[in-house]
Amino acid sequence: MKNNSNDISQELLEIIESYINGSMNTRELNDFNQLLELDDEFKTKVEDVKTMLLGIENQSLKEQLDEIHKDIPKTKVKKSKDKKVRYLYYSKFAAAAALIIAVGSIWFFSTPQNEKLYSKHFKPDPGLPTTMSSTNNFDFYDGMVKYKHGDYDIAIDKWKTLNENSPENDTINYFLGVAFLANKNVPEAIPYLENAAEAEDNFAFLNDTYYYLGLAYMKEGNIELAKKNLELSNTKKSEEILLKLTN
Amino acid sequence: MRKSVQYSNQSELVNAIKSNDSSVIKKFYTENYKKVELLILKNSGSIEYAKDIYQDAFITVWTHIKNDKFTPKNETALQGYLYTISKNKWMDVLRSKSFKNSKLLNYEILDFIENEDNENADLKNNKLKLTMLAFKNLGQPCKELLNTFYFEKKSLKEIASKLKIEETTARNKKYRCMEKLRAMVLASK
Repeated sequence: MKNNSNDISQELLEIIESYINGSMNTRELNDFNQLLELDDEFKTKVEDVKTMLLGIENQSLKEQLDEIHKDIPKTKVKKSKDKKVRYLYYSKFAAAAALIIAVGSIWFFSTPQNEKLYSKHFKPDPGLPTTMSSTNNFDFYDGMVKYKHGDYDIAIDKWKTLNENSPENDTINYFLGVAFLANKNVPEAIPYLENAAEAEDNFAFLNDTYYYLGLAYMKEGNIELAKKNLELSNTKKSEEILLKLTN
Repeated sequence: MRKSVQYSNQSELVNAIKSNDSSVIKKFYTENYKKVELLILKNSGSIEYAKDIYQDAFITVWTHIKNDKFTPKNETALQGYLYTISKNKWMDVLRSKSFKNSKLLNYEILDFIENEDNENADLKNNKLKLTMLAFKNLGQPCKELLNTFYFEKKSLKEIASKLKIEETTARNKKYRCMEKLRAMVLASK
């Protein structure tokens, strides 16, 4: 495009503007229209100005609309969800089920073999017969009744008091340990069972002490100590587990 | 001049829009937006799409009114017209390949569709877009002056007194700003 002929003087700009906004009188308008028909270059200039004015207005409007839009309260996208409510409702269950399956299988596959062995083999010691005998041992047998009922917390409380008075009593140590195991508190059980394991060789529950100690260590994941204690326990059930542990 | 935001009939509304009465524009814009938003949200759109489509449609309606391409025939004609144009524009988006291929990003697609339009549209339309872009980026003093004069339709006298300058200075300034804008448009071609 030729630059010079493309120039629009201030005067011409104002004339074109008055044409666009319709402020020309009839005579001016007639002259203008005549020129439009005769002069293509003039026509182009008029079109140019028209486009510019429209561009200014369009952009101004656009920016104003952006401002207006800020004042419109934001719709929380509820409407589009309406249709999906039912689907979402089910999908919640599906998601929950999937989660349970996932967590379950993670637990199943990640549960170490020894823990499975533990839960398979652990059965609380049946306890001692609670005959009404010497009054001295009343508290101990009271605890035993609770233990047999499965009230391990109460049994533990009662035996703990006795244990504080006579920490060397192997039977109390043993049953405290077993009660803790039955109460699914393996770490607490181990010290009591270890105490009991230090008993004399003639301790009636020595084999059982080693057995439960072995189980406890197995549950804790300490396979070496588990094996060691199970080996010390001269029972069939410990041999059974040992066999599985070595395999 | 009426200060009231009310427009009791369509011709009043048309005249107010023609003169860019900002309070009427705001009312007209705000009142009709939610319906269009609902339409777009119901038809796999988003709030961002709704805003873009609606503004695009609004500017089209405004342009048509200005150029007397649309004359309301009943009392809700303009509202209906705005809704229909929005709807058509949204249908164009839904039908477009770029929307079908990816429903992810909004603005890129809208730009793309606009470009698709541009290819078919005449040079004039393209020039309008260039002018809009140039005006968007025009320096603030010029932009404000041109906006006040051409969009808000304030007289040079009003502008001069607001800027505390002579009316002739305002007139010259306006011309220089137009030259600047024109140079920007020509440069971007």
